[in-house]
Amino acid sequence: MEFKELDPILHSQLRLAVMSLLISVKEAEFTFLKEKTNATSGNLSVQISKLKEAGYIEIIKQFNNNYPQTICKITQQGIDAFENYVKALQSYMKL
Amino acid sequence: MEEKQLSEKESFELITSMINKAKGRIGETGTSYLLWGWLILVCCIVQFVSLYFFNYANSYYIWYATWIFLIFQFFYFRKQKKLITVKTYTGEINRFVWLAFFICTVLVIFISIYLKYYEIIYPLILVMYGMPTFLSGIILKFRPLIIGGVCCWVFSFFSSFVASEYQSLFIAAAVIVAWIIPGYILKQIFKKEN
Repeated sequence: MEFKELDPILHSQLRLAVMSLLISVKEAEFTFLKEKTNATSGNLSVQISKLKEAGYIEIIKQFNNNYPQTICKITQQGIDAFENYVKALQSYMKL
Repeated sequence: MEEKQLSEKESFELITSMINKAKGRIGETGTSYLLWGWLILVCCIVQFVSLYFFNYANSYYIWYATWIFLIFQFFYFRKQKKLITVKTYTGEINRFVWLAFFICTVLVIFISIYLKYYEIIYPLILVMYGMPTFLSGIILKFRPLIIGGVCCWVFSFFSSFVASEYQSLFIAAAVIVAWIIPGYILKQIFKKEN
């Protein structure tokens, strides 16, 4: 049986949680991700920056009625990486 | 959430739990259903009372309130947007369903008035009205809206058998079951979700 390597970007608790949330929705605000993952703002910021650097998510910073907003959105590259990660996991689980 | 090395099983569990957290949301405040529900209900009652009890021929003027309300809604929802922290695909489809309903309804009203088929306006509006309500119920997996949509079609059928001055009462009944009741339930759910 051939083992696929697990993507190190996704094989981290918080980054995987963020990607799992973003794959289910069109886009989500930073506050939504923070609430659902119970992460601290600092840690979440670092992890979403890593996902952005990998090209897995897009981060849009904007103002809504004078309130700063950070919106995160999964990219096609992110969707492909997530699917590959799940396939790799499945190959391990079948063992 | 702390960083730790995940086992394959833990990874799967984490993915499943996060997907469930995101997809279980209805993400609908219920406000638009309530605002429009109450507005249309008041319009229907005012029209019926002015026509039936006072024989006021221009009772339909009350419907111009909907245009004023449309402008108000535009500004109100710009403010409300900041309450919604996530956009789902279902929410996006839902918005377009209601946009399509709005366009079709305006066209149906215009065509009926232009061709002078006044007495079919209300039954046709009820036919139209049932569609986005029913579809929203299916999209959001929210039974009260599905029931509301079906009720609109039933009311539409029966409204074609009554005199035109009573037809507005069918619209009033439809907004209660299709917008006002589901609106209050959605509001409760939104409060719990946030």
